[in-house]
Parts: sequence; C-alpha cells; structure tokens
Amino acid sequence: MKFKKAIALCLSAALSVSLLASCGGNTTSSAGSADASSAGSASAAGSQATTVDYPTKDITVIIPKNPGGGTDVSTRGLLQYMKNYIDGANFVPTNKPDGGGVTGMVETANAKADGYTLGAVTVELAMFPHQGKCTVTYEDYAPICAQIAAPAALIVPADAPYNSLQEFVDYCKENPGTVQMGNSGMGAIWHVATVQMEKEFGIEVKHIPYPNGTADIAAALTGGHIDGTLADPSSFVSQVQAGTLKILAIMADERSVMFPDVPTFKELGYDMTIRSWACVVAPKDTPAEILQILRDAAEKTCNDPEYQEYLMNQGIDPVCIIGDDCYQMMEEDHAMFGEVLAELDV
Amino acid sequence: MDAILAAFGNVFLSPLNLGGLIFGVAVGIVIGALPGLSVNMGIALLFPLTFSFQGIGGILMLLGIYCGAIYGGSITAILLKTPGTPASAATTLDGYPMAVKYGQPGRALGLSTFSSTFGGVFSAICLVLFSPMLASVALQFSKPEYFALAVFGISIITSVSSGSVLKGLMGGLVGLIIATIGIDAMSGQMRMTFGTTYLLGGLSFVPVLIGLFAFSQVLTSIEDSYNETYVKHDVKLKRVFPTFADLKKCAITILRSSVIGTVIGAVPGTGGDISSFISYNEAKRWSKEKEKFGDGAPEGICAPEAGNNAVSGGAMIPMLTLGIPGDGATAIMLGALMVQGMQPGPLLFQNQAPQVYTIFLGLMTANLVMGLLGFSVIRLFVKVINVPKKYLMPIIFVMTFVGAFAYNNSITDVFVMVAFGFLGYFLNKMEFSSSAIVIGIILGSLAEQNFRGALMMSDGSMMIFLEHPICAIFLLIALVSLFAPILGPALKKVFKKPVKQ
Repeated sequence: MKFKKAIALCLSAALSVSLLASCGGNTTSSAGSADASSAGSASAAGSQATTVDYPTKDITVIIPKNPGGGTDVSTRGLLQYMKNYIDGANFVPTNKPDGGGVTGMVETANAKADGYTLGAVTVELAMFPHQGKCTVTYEDYAPICAQIAAPAALIVPADAPYNSLQEFVDYCKENPGTVQMGNSGMGAIWHVATVQMEKEFGIEVKHIPYPNGTADIAAALTGGHIDGTLADPSSFVSQVQAGTLKILAIMADERSVMFPDVPTFKELGYDMTIRSWACVVAPKDTPAEILQILRDAAEKTCNDPEYQEYLMNQGIDPVCIIGDDCYQMMEEDHAMFGEVLAELDV
Repeated sequence: MDAILAAFGNVFLSPLNLGGLIFGVAVGIVIGALPGLSVNMGIALLFPLTFSFQGIGGILMLLGIYCGAIYGGSITAILLKTPGTPASAATTLDGYPMAVKYGQPGRALGLSTFSSTFGGVFSAICLVLFSPMLASVALQFSKPEYFALAVFGISIITSVSSGSVLKGLMGGLVGLIIATIGIDAMSGQMRMTFGTTYLLGGLSFVPVLIGLFAFSQVLTSIEDSYNETYVKHDVKLKRVFPTFADLKKCAITILRSSVIGTVIGAVPGTGGDISSFISYNEAKRWSKEKEKFGDGAPEGICAPEAGNNAVSGGAMIPMLTLGIPGDGATAIMLGALMVQGMQPGPLLFQNQAPQVYTIFLGLMTANLVMGLLGFSVIRLFVKVINVPKKYLMPIIFVMTFVGAFAYNNSITDVFVMVAFGFLGYFLNKMEFSSSAIVIGIILGSLAEQNFRGALMMSDGSMMIFLEHPICAIFLLIALVSLFAPILGPALKKVFKKPVKQ
C-alpha cells in the first residue's frame, strides 16, 4: 500500500513537472515571437554598427508540415546541428500543417523580417502557385539553405524483367498503358515526374496515386501490386538494400552518394532533373547581415560529417545548396513546373 | 541466446534506459489524456532527446510514449466524455455512462487499464512470434482490400447509433461529406474549399472531434446543472483491479479485440482509430446482451481499449520487417532507429538481432509499466468525478480551446471546433450519434481514395473487388452487418409468427 502511494506520488510529481516543462516551452516560443518586434528594432539599430547582435532571442521556425514527415525531420535535424555554429542560438520549431502546408508558408512570408521568424518551404511552393492553390512564390523569401533535394528515382521490383532505364522504356513501349506506376497523388511532384518521363520517351503508363505518401508506394511495390514508381528513394532504402527492389536510374545532375552505382538520367542522355526539396528560408526583407550569419552557419553545418551521417542514416543524400544557389533552384523549378503543370491541367 | 541476454541488459540493467522508458510512458499518458496533444507531436518533440541517449535508450523512451498515449486517451474519454485521442472515441460510448451515469468510474478505468495492458502485451508477443507472417498478410493489402476494410468499418455506423439506424446513416453521410473537403489527391482538383486556404488540406480531424465530443458535452452539462444545488459526490474506490466476474465476462472480447488490433496495426495506413471501432462492433456482434451496449456495457470498454493498444505491436511489424512505417508515429521511430545506425527492413533480424530483441522486450515492458502506472493513478484520476460541475466544466471549456489550437497552432481550428461543438450539441438533442459522424470522417477518405484507385488499376472494371478474395469477404460481411439491424427484426417476424400459430 505504501509502495503504491509512493509510486502515485512520484508519478504525479513527474507528470506535473513534465506538464510545467511543456507549458514553459510553449510560453517561451510565443514570447519569442511576441518580443520579436522589439528585438528586431534593436538589431536593426545594431546593424548600423559593423556587427549585429544576433540572435538575442529564441528563433521561431515554422514547419508547414506534420511532425514526423520528411520535411519536419530534415528541418529539425538541420536546426539541431546548426545551432552549434551560431553562438547562443535557440531554434523553436513550430508545426503549422493546416491548409496542405500553404498556411505555414504564407505565415513565414508575412512574418516580421527580423531574423527571429524563419520557416521551411517545400517544392510545393514551386507548384501550388500555378495550380491556384497558393498566393506566395519563391520571390517572397530569402533562402538560407536547402536541407534536402531528393531526386526522383526509377524504382522497380528486383525480379522485374528490365534491368536498365532503356529496357524499362522498351518494355513500356511493348505494353502501352499497362505498366502501373505509383505516385504520391495526381498533380503532386512524383506524378509530374512520371508525366515528364512519358513525354520524354514517348511512352504511356498507368498512374496509380497513393496520396498518403511514399511509404504506401513502398508497401505496394514490395507487395507486388504495382510495377514501379518514380519517387524519392529514402522510403525504399531498406528494400533496395535487402534486394527486393532495385533502382534503375535517378533524375539528378550527379550520382547519388548513397547509391553510387545507379546511373543518372543525364549520363544516359536525357536531361531531366526533378527534385523534391525543402529549404529553410527567412522573409525576403530580412537584413543582409543576419542572413549572412545564418547562411554561414548553414554552410558549416552542411559540411559537418556528423550532420551528413545523420542524413545518410535516414536515407537522405546530403546536399549543400546555400543562399543564392538555393534561390536559383527555387526560381528554376518555379519556371519548370509552370510549363509542365500548364500542359497537365491539374 | 546472447542476443536475448543483451536485450535484457539493455532494458533492465541500465537505469538510464529503464528510466527513459518509464518517463516516456508517463509523458505519453499525459499527452494522450489531453485532447489536442497527439502521439506524433509527443514523439516528434522528444525525438531530439534520443540523440543524447547512447544506443537504444532513446528508442525505448519513444516506445513508452507511443504505448502510454494510446492508453491515456481513454482516461478523459471515460471520465469526461472527451476522447484524448481519436483512438479513444469509441471508448466514450460505454465508458462515460458506466463512470458517470452508474457512478462506477473505478470499474470503468480498471477495465480499460487491464484491457489496454493486455492488448499491448498480446501484440508485443505477436510481434515476437508472428512478425514475418503478419508482414506478408499486410503486404497482401492493395487498394481493393483497403476499400473493403473501409466499407467494413463504415458499416459499423448502424451498430453504434443505438437510437435510430436512419439517423446513424445520416450522421455517417455528413462525416463522409466532410472527408471529401480539400485537395482531391486522385485528380488534383480542389473540392468544397470555397476559395479558402484553410480548407485546402481538409478540415482538421482533431478539432472536429474535440468540438463534437468535449465542447458539446460542456454545453449539455451547463444546461443540466443550471440551478442545480451541488450534491457532494464522494466516490471512493474499494479496488482498482477489475473483478474476476468482469474479467471472465470480457475475456473473449479482450482476446478478440487484441487480435483485431494487431492485424489492423500491421496493415500500413490503418491504426488505432479504425481498430477501436471495429473491435467495438465485433464485441457487440458476438454479445448476447446487445441492448446493453451504449449504456455502460463492460465489453464496450474492453473492446476498443484492447483493440487500440494492440495496434502498437502490430504497427512495429511493417516498420521493423519491411522498413515501411504504418503511421506518423512509427515513421518518426523509424527515423530515430536509423539515426542510431539501425537499418530496419528485411536484413535487420540477421544483422542486428540484439537491438531487435531489445525493441521486443522494450515494447512489452512499456506496456507492463503502462498498466502499473495506470492502476496506481486510477484513485487519483477518479477524483475528477468528485469535482463540482461548476468548477469542472469551465476548466474543460478552456481545455477545448487550448487543445484545438495546440493541434496545428491554428486559430481557424478553434473556430471549427466551436462550430462543431454547437453542431454536436444540437445533434445530441435530436438523438443523432456523434460517433457516426466521426466514423464517416475517419474512413471516408480511405474508402474513397482506394475505391477510385482500385478502379484506376482495373481500368474501370468493378470485377476487381470480387477477384480479390480478402476484399470480397470483407464486403460480404459489411453488407450483412449493414442490413442485419434492418432485416433481422423483419425476418424474425416472418419466421416466428407461423410457429406461434
């Protein structure tokens, strides 16, 4: 009896402490954004001097996706390592996934440009504006770095009768309209990639959408319900390593660090690059000095072997796309998806 | 053998690992009990902490949160008719009447704690013994099977709406319509978004749930207790462990629900919310006292609670054996495992046996710790019933707002919650069932997406649903259970009359 009481007591103490801790966490984050305006003016005043005093407060980072998804995990990972390279930085990630991610991206764009509100944006930023789903574009942001830029990989079951991109294309030509290709939703990126491939090679496949993401495609492919997919390979790593699935080619400029034996579409003679990226960005008018601090830190983080290993462990190819390069990537993809989606009519 | 010994060492001999696990379970129970705080959120928040654990300790903590949160949802579901997680929505049906109407909160919590623990441990044992088999069953599920499972689930509407079948079906339709809001992933078009950004991703389910159950309950209570002079309740519990008679009565239900939960957990993309309703329905189907369901039947508490906690072991199966996460929570755990240098998938069992056994043992321990913590705090929790309504209701009222906001950090969600709160209040008045709407929302998109996806696979031929055996069987059972409440009494009349004459 005494023992039970002791347990109950300890437990309730632990619960109240953890509750307090979580409440405390929330208040600091909201206080962080509330105080951001005063801190912003302070740092604006400070920026007239040669160095800015940044950061002096918590930095809120709006993640426009659910906790646990690829965007969330890679963004939290980047922040976790990046804070080691900025003195006194404390990032507070906040998930705002409603509106299919648009709300969070819009909120970042409209936030006070003082460096205390950052956000993640995803490749949908280059797609949604053309589909009438979103009013902000890449022009509303000052990018810091892309933490992920996963290329489309052509993945098929290991026992499929084709072993190269060419053989796959030939097979599709012999069997028009019957090869079932999984995608992550019509009008979403991997569907666009598959349509691009159809156009490039003059083939016709059957599009099967799996709207809840690539994990479902992996299950369908492993279970033998579909014939292939063009998707980010990270969800398929364990099946590829176990030899139940194989990757025929990837749509990237350079070979993947994780799958060095897989050829790119480019080296096979087809200039196609479709990547699913997520970037950490600041609102566009953020002071240059602050952007510089963040970009320098991001660059050091990207070259940190521990961080690279962290990404590789999760099936993500480490990339180092900083600042202006990142802006250029967003700009190019915006133009590319504009053309493709206009033809696609979704 | 070495691997098993190493696993024992990892779980029990390291104070940090065991402490992390217990801490995880405790945090999980709190997160689960509070509406608006989701399992995924809890796991994602503590995910960075796993980096600082050497080896597998962090994973044990996440396992603890996962199990604890599924159980925690039942506490508020039973005591306040406010399911802390969608997986506990079914528990309100019988848990709340038993706790409040019949004044037996200790019995209700005791049953739910026992069933949850049993379901969790059962599924952990299944994970150890039948992983490869269950994984191959899970891989059999293609779009037609998912569609059939969803239809099977939807057919439950007729049995949860105890009042009028017609009103239940109407509620279910409202739920199905709500599920169509947002970007239609099968065509890329926007449906019923009315040009707003908020509706692009559809209505958020958790705020709707909080509104339909908690907010409307507050309104009803305010109405009931208006001018009421406070009668001092003093619920004191003689025992927290369920009686032998109760356990004997529920044994088969608990076992059946544990099997259902484990299998549904193993199928990627389906989880505790679906398995708890299906378990509830099966408990009612096989019960001899169907009329007691919805009015404090002990099986009506045991079934959903065993069913949703059994999902925990089931969901580990595709994650560990295939490297494919079945839901958001296991997706984060997959990431955490990979950060620790493990590569879940077909090779895991060969290459990293000690870690696999540690996870097995950890899951089992987490469920047992959950039961232990649960039983030891029941006495504390039932005191909630003793709090006068004039103090309790304002607190819940505030919690509904906090919970609705916390889920997505969105103020629009709060408005949605309030709107559904008033809707739920009037629906209750008119004896519609909120659960029917909830089932419609949970299963609507699963049914629709997979129906259309299956037809894409078959080029529009309906035969695909009959050619897949699992699918055909599910559809047949669904058809029978949908019409049984309507045809059953009619048939009885036809067949019984001649006998009497």
